[in-house]
Amino acid sequence: MASTAQPVDWRTAQRLQHRNKFLGKLALSLLTFAIVFLFFFPIFYWFRLSVTPYRYVFTLPPRLDFPQITTAWWSVILGQASYQDTMRDQTGTALAAGVGGGGTLGYAMVQPIVNSLFYGLSSTAIVIFVATLAAYALSRFNPRGKQNLVFFIISTRFMPAAAVVLPLSWLYQQLGLTSTYIGVMLAHVVINLPLATLLLKSFFDDIPTDLDEAAMVDGCTRFGAFWRIIIRYVAPGMAAAAVLCLIFSWNEFILTLYLSRLPEMQTVPIRMQSYDTSAGPTEWGLLSAAGTAAMIPVFLFILSVQRYLIRGLTLGAVRG
Amino acid sequence: MARPDIALSTPLSTQAASANKRRGFFSASNPWLWVSPAVGILLLYSVFPLVFNILVSFQNFRTSTKAWEWVGFRNYEWMLYGNPLVKDFGNAIVITAVYTIVALTVQLLLGLFIALLLDARPWFSNIMQTLMILPMVTAPVIAGLMFRLLQHPDFGVISWLLYGVGALDKSEPLLGGTGQYALIALLIVEIWQWTPFFVLIILAGLKGLPHEIVEASQVDGASWLQRLTRIKIPMLFSVITVGVLFRLIELYKTFDYVMVMTSGGPGDRTTTLSFYQYTVTFQNVRWGYGAAIGVFIMVVGWLSAFAYTKIFRVKW
Repeated sequence: MASTAQPVDWRTAQRLQHRNKFLGKLALSLLTFAIVFLFFFPIFYWFRLSVTPYRYVFTLPPRLDFPQITTAWWSVILGQASYQDTMRDQTGTALAAGVGGGGTLGYAMVQPIVNSLFYGLSSTAIVIFVATLAAYALSRFNPRGKQNLVFFIISTRFMPAAAVVLPLSWLYQQLGLTSTYIGVMLAHVVINLPLATLLLKSFFDDIPTDLDEAAMVDGCTRFGAFWRIIIRYVAPGMAAAAVLCLIFSWNEFILTLYLSRLPEMQTVPIRMQSYDTSAGPTEWGLLSAAGTAAMIPVFLFILSVQRYLIRGLTLGAVRG
Repeated sequence: MARPDIALSTPLSTQAASANKRRGFFSASNPWLWVSPAVGILLLYSVFPLVFNILVSFQNFRTSTKAWEWVGFRNYEWMLYGNPLVKDFGNAIVITAVYTIVALTVQLLLGLFIALLLDARPWFSNIMQTLMILPMVTAPVIAGLMFRLLQHPDFGVISWLLYGVGALDKSEPLLGGTGQYALIALLIVEIWQWTPFFVLIILAGLKGLPHEIVEASQVDGASWLQRLTRIKIPMLFSVITVGVLFRLIELYKTFDYVMVMTSGGPGDRTTTLSFYQYTVTFQNVRWGYGAAIGVFIMVVGWLSAFAYTKIFRVKW
């Protein structure tokens, strides 16, 4: 090969390689984006529905744009407009009295959101307190049968909620907790306790035991070492666990459904399910607005603890 | 600074042991004191319902007289041989098994594929990873309602697409009709909501792999496929076994989607074990039989999970 041609060939080859690398990355990105879009699409479609007037809701082929934006559905959800008036405006025909889901409570979501927040915040406070104590012991002590104790904590998740409802209803009746806020809150405590305990154990495991020992050498008691020193280091983990507990409490369905028979005690998922009745037409605009309203706080929360989501879902077994 | 001399001379563990002997249960070094509130609450939720269900499972509640009567093992015989009053128990087991196996396989393979794509660092991989989280944190009830609209026979987007490519006929839609495809409709939501779970845990596993080993194999001339099947997947084994365990537990007691989307129908084509138990208890008011099924679900689930953690050595 002529010596003069060599640098040119080399440069072309390099350019080719660069281009191939670029094309490879482009193909990879497009494929990944297409797949991720499939997973994101239902959420986007649901949100779009909540701001779309009735006449654009059921068009096929599906449209992804926003031909016209309405706040009508959101007004009903937030209790600013009546269901009957909104449906008349949207469909052009007046509904017969008593038609439609939602029962006597109408479609306002304010009360269920307040309830959901109450159950979530109060149960999470208790869960974090109880779980932190247990997690510290599981991480720092090595009692005989520790693995079995951990398995027991996980095994409480095997029970299908429907099988727990009857025993719990009986117990609540004996204790006078039927259809009380405290009763539902306790159920939420129970649901989140295994999650929080094992998640927090994994955070305690990340902190070297030297720290406890140093504190105890310096004159702290065991409890003092835990309370004054270790808990400060595990605080971010506690925050993450709290957020995850809030989310799972927010999404909980079957236990709450059966332990709170009073309509004014309903949480968001239960109220949403009651919108959807066979008695009247299924109001997709309202359902999607309510659904979006219920999703927004969860999505905002999750952004803050994204890093710990996997750890939470696998009870600390996989460090994400 | 005054330090207790004992701390300098004896190791801490000895100190803790002696303290434990001195003060018994109410000592800060007794682990059982620390875990007792949590264990107490959990006993109330797991052991109490189990004992209650075992007691009730040998009885029958007569709705006419509102009285309990002992019936021996009749409720368990019903599970074995079927009974004339409620839908078929064997069917519920088959449905749950099919649902679990199909969903788990698809979620795992699809999750692995997407995780590998994201791990190859496409543009905006961080944003895409965040978007993948959203399905998982949507309430199952909301996800079920969402997909009931998307799969609506007349104006659902998924139905429309499937009609378009000829995979589905309008006379036999996903939801409705004779219910031939109703289980597929549930599987679609299940897969949509929980594939991201495998994506994220496998991605976390991939990011934790030691670079040296992967690179060394590359230097030694291993192809992309060899690197994947011989190096990466074996090293991800423990992560995947944990993920599978958690999905199995949830799939085994699938309830919310069934409740919101199909109510176990048409007929009993989507009646999963959990939903069957619910139907028997709350719709047929067969509390004794329902409790027997509850005991069955719990004991089988507990034993399988225990065996699973032993076989795959899952440790916490």
